[in-house]
Amino acid sequence: MKIAVLIKRVPDMDLRFKIASNGTSVDESGLKFDISDFDGYAVEAALQTKEKQADPAASEVVVISLGPDVVQETLRKAMSLGADRAIHLKCDTPVHDSYAIATALAAELKGGGYDLVMFGRMSIDTANQSTGPIVAELLGLPIITAISKLGLEGGRVKARRELEGSYELIECPMPAVVTIDEGIARPRYPSLKGIMAAKKKPLEVKPAQVGEERYKLDKMELPPERAAGRIIGEGKDAVPELVRLLKEEAKVL
Amino acid sequence: MTSASSMVFTVVVVAALGFFAYNVQRLVGELRLGHRDDVRWNDLPRRFWNLLQIGLFQKKIFRDSVAGPMHAAIFWGFCVLTLGTTEMIVAGMFPGFSFAPFVPAPLYRFYEMNQDLWGALVIAAVSFALFRRLTKRVKRLQGKETHADDPLLILSWIGVLMITMFASHATTGVLHDLFWWSHALLVLGFLNYLPYSKHLHVVVSLPNVFLSNTSGPGVIGAMRPMDLEGDVAVFGAKDVTDLSWKSLLDGFACTECGRCTSVCPANITGKLLSPRKIVINVRERLEAEAKGDHSKTLLDDFITEEELWSCTTCRACVQECPVSIDQLSVILELRRNLVLGESRFPAEVMPAFESMEQRGSPWAFDPGDRGKWAAGLDIPTMAEMAERNERPEVLYWVGCMGSFDDRAKKTTVAFAKILKAAHVNFAILGQEEKCNGDVARRMGNEYLYQMLAKENIATLDRYGVKTVVTACPHCFHQIGNEYPQFGGNYEVVHHSTYIESLMAAGRVPLREDLHEPVRTFTYHDSCYLGRYNDVYDAPRETMKRALPMLNLVEMPRSKDRGLCCGAGGGRMFMEEKVGKRINAERAEEALATGADAIAVACPFCMTMMADSIKSRDSHVEVYDVAEVVAGRLAV
Amino acid sequence: MANTNVFAFAESRSGELRRAALEAVTAARGVADSTGGQVHAMLAGGPGIAALAAKLAACGADVVLVLENPGFANYNPEALAATIAGRLTSNGYRAAFFIASAQGRDLAPRVAAKCQLPIAADVTEFSVGADAVTVKHPGYTGKIIQSFTLRAATAILSLRPGAVLPRESAKPGTVEQITSAIDPSSARVVVTSTVRSEGAKLDLGEAPVIVSGGRGLRESGNFKLVEDLAAAFGNAAVGATRAVTDEGWRPHSDQIGQTGRLVSPQLYIACGISGAIQHLAGMRTSKTIVAINRDKEAPIFKVADYGIVGDVLEILPVLTAAVKEAKKGA
Repeated sequence: MKIAVLIKRVPDMDLRFKIASNGTSVDESGLKFDISDFDGYAVEAALQTKEKQADPAASEVVVISLGPDVVQETLRKAMSLGADRAIHLKCDTPVHDSYAIATALAAELKGGGYDLVMFGRMSIDTANQSTGPIVAELLGLPIITAISKLGLEGGRVKARRELEGSYELIECPMPAVVTIDEGIARPRYPSLKGIMAAKKKPLEVKPAQVGEERYKLDKMELPPERAAGRIIGEGKDAVPELVRLLKEEAKVL
Repeated sequence: MTSASSMVFTVVVVAALGFFAYNVQRLVGELRLGHRDDVRWNDLPRRFWNLLQIGLFQKKIFRDSVAGPMHAAIFWGFCVLTLGTTEMIVAGMFPGFSFAPFVPAPLYRFYEMNQDLWGALVIAAVSFALFRRLTKRVKRLQGKETHADDPLLILSWIGVLMITMFASHATTGVLHDLFWWSHALLVLGFLNYLPYSKHLHVVVSLPNVFLSNTSGPGVIGAMRPMDLEGDVAVFGAKDVTDLSWKSLLDGFACTECGRCTSVCPANITGKLLSPRKIVINVRERLEAEAKGDHSKTLLDDFITEEELWSCTTCRACVQECPVSIDQLSVILELRRNLVLGESRFPAEVMPAFESMEQRGSPWAFDPGDRGKWAAGLDIPTMAEMAERNERPEVLYWVGCMGSFDDRAKKTTVAFAKILKAAHVNFAILGQEEKCNGDVARRMGNEYLYQMLAKENIATLDRYGVKTVVTACPHCFHQIGNEYPQFGGNYEVVHHSTYIESLMAAGRVPLREDLHEPVRTFTYHDSCYLGRYNDVYDAPRETMKRALPMLNLVEMPRSKDRGLCCGAGGGRMFMEEKVGKRINAERAEEALATGADAIAVACPFCMTMMADSIKSRDSHVEVYDVAEVVAGRLAV
Repeated sequence: MANTNVFAFAESRSGELRRAALEAVTAARGVADSTGGQVHAMLAGGPGIAALAAKLAACGADVVLVLENPGFANYNPEALAATIAGRLTSNGYRAAFFIASAQGRDLAPRVAAKCQLPIAADVTEFSVGADAVTVKHPGYTGKIIQSFTLRAATAILSLRPGAVLPRESAKPGTVEQITSAIDPSSARVVVTSTVRSEGAKLDLGEAPVIVSGGRGLRESGNFKLVEDLAAAFGNAAVGATRAVTDEGWRPHSDQIGQTGRLVSPQLYIACGISGAIQHLAGMRTSKTIVAINRDKEAPIFKVADYGIVGDVLEILPVLTAAVKEAKKGA
């Protein structure tokens, strides 16, 4: 089985961000980067799928990433987890138009003979959740998005998608594209052995054929500061005030 | 003894010694299956001192007030009686031989008297030992991993040896010959039984004490540095062939006494881990490997993940072992293999690993918040001082807990106040500080550890830091004892020691103690401060100086017998699912002293003790030593 | 000649309109009012779905396109996307509104792809101009607000649920029956069943509201108060601190914190939780945090937006009753 996993290099989300002086990107000083969370689940799902094959050695997990040279670190990280080889689609300027990105990805994936093309359900930074379905359409492949359970049976993908207060059981024939949600697999931790092996695995660099950009980023800004909290009262007498605040101020009730 | 029988005897002796030599060579061959280790011929004075204290004077043996004298009697008796046995055997080969012509007569008579005296003591001791084993059900002498019949055999054998010795002295003629030959054969047989028994310790323990680093020389408790660049086939240890020859020798030195297991906090609270079992398993697996069995490995087939992850690395086992075995080093090498080789570790630890890698702290807090506790306290950072071309007297290394945990931050502020009151010129690293890496290293993640350590050393060296004071024993141990492995050499002082020295120099202004009520405190010893670095008195002295009206009560398990709080070895980040909670065990012990407050000198201990005390709805407070002092500052 | 009509997809499930449908129509109505065009809302479902058209008319739909076909009783992504794309391509719309619900997040990009159009997804604010659409969309787990410009003859917008409040604006809502662009049974992606998780515990990662309990509840039996409050919210999950799961009061899977779950709900109510570093690491990115604790020095109050100092056992029942009241009115 041949599986492609599309991954994105993103900054660690637990830090506070500052906007760079150009106003359209994040100030990278002090930031650490890694594979985007959902992409990480996709990589893990791909690795587990390969390991479950009758002859795992005959299967291949290929990781692909679009971006500047520095994404090669992220590709190596994916290989340290167990991916077999990597493809770097080189693109030095950030692209925000999902259609334009999908054009570049689809160009690479076409003819690759992949049984499964896996995405994280969205990138944790730009959070558009659109690239996967557009790639599937460009490849003419069926796609199931945001799956929380993945099963492969008799050449078909059998999956579960979480909805609001309910879920769908959904399937399609392979080859197929899937985007992965939380809950499928917990990513493994790279062993030192894996890290050393990854240094020797093949990594190919190609120019990215990004499509026309019709959705452009104008600026980035920080949301209004979280106002300092306050103790609104003591004992059960404070409850009515709390409910009022939740309704009117926080708008969560 | 006729010349014919002496010839026969000589043959017997030669055969026996020959067989013994064969076994020695075989065992040495087994040791060679392990790999090279540190030089162990260094610091000879220290080694000989250990040999004297721990070996000859049985210092650790006496920590058990019942078995101590009992064993000392057998051991010293053994030493004394060996002289007599030697004389006897040589006389058996060369009739008429005796030591008498070589020594002054009174000395010889003294020697003869001691043979009898010690012989009697040995009989008494082994009788008591047998009685104790058979009737008393001593907990630490039991255990599935022990060889239960061996001790009974050996004790009886020794008993019979003594009886035959006395009997041969007390009889003549045929009876004498009978007893003499019995004694001789039993001795030679005993010697040759040793390699097949746990009583090999008779031969191995003194060399083991001499060759061991566990009581210094060298740095106590430092983990073996690893070269991660080289093409390494195995990380850490998966099997006995990956351990050092010294760890294998430890296996031969173990007499299965169980003292290590009896002080292991994990074992005490019902976990599977038994340090004794670890050592016995090493020997068992080694013997199987030497016989050609390559189908099993020490890791998984003998020692399970569950056992390995239960360890808090408190070092009580190493402290207690009378023959200086290092059980902990085996546990840590196996952990390294699990993590570096196979990424096998409790799932709940992964966020801590990832956070250390991404954010330089095991908790998901913004590194930018590290210096926030100092807001309004007028404490400069190293960066600020460097800009003014200044250097502080000392760097205050705060640590992750002290920077981010609300309770620990109070300790941080308290210590900072003391430093200010003493007019110490100090600075902090603030955002440039990263986790010292101890948690990663103890869990076996050497890769992550070295990354953190090297980054910290680069930062410290960039500022030309010479002296560091820290309130966290783990930071203290790392920066002082293990960072030198990567070229980071600094003088590191624990805050309790530092405060004590400031007080001794009169630099800490304390209030007059007019009518302050008597406070009863008990102090909980931190493992990394105590057993790793021998700091037991400084925190106590500091408290006594600060609180003249202090009534300090000790817990039954204190100082180098102190029970771990349960957080070390990365366990702070793991779930405790089996048996009783370690911190509950310790909290109970603390509360049982009747103290109205507990003092600690470590943020992990603080958390563990406070959590457990709170869950008991107790009003006993937990304070850091710095808080005790800060509370008495003349403001 | 620029398009003036606006398309809105009205999501339904199991024969009932979803709130997203009204939001989409309201958004479309707002744009149509300024372009002077019509709002065409589309409904798809099994037989009988046309009955929902009136509600869409009430929110401003001039025309309701009804695709009534047994093949659409369950969500049929490929047939639906093909049909919508066909409609958008053959009729000129200035904008097409979807809501980024679980279904919308799947459907909208499919449509954009089939139309070969760019898409603005998870939009919180938007402005439709003559030749460009500007939108705002939060990224980086909500820590950065990004502003974009979309240029296309038809702007496909997928709005964040809750970004638009449904508004009444009665319009004719003329029903127009349409047919599926492809045979629904020929679709490769098939939903074999849609199952309601009735009574099933809402997952901590999904729940918009989490009510969490800590050691301040004193004993495991008191957790019922936490469960009652969660039930009063209706869409709340129940969490716990490590202290409490270690004691065995709650299963380990309920644990929120460093070694448990990391959650980011809209509303987090911490009951009897002191706020140890272990726990804070798991929930401090929640949008609104409420804390109830008897110790006013408890660290939880430093991260809470609203705090009540007092006995949680006393306060919870009162809060539960108040929430039930408030929900009834909604």
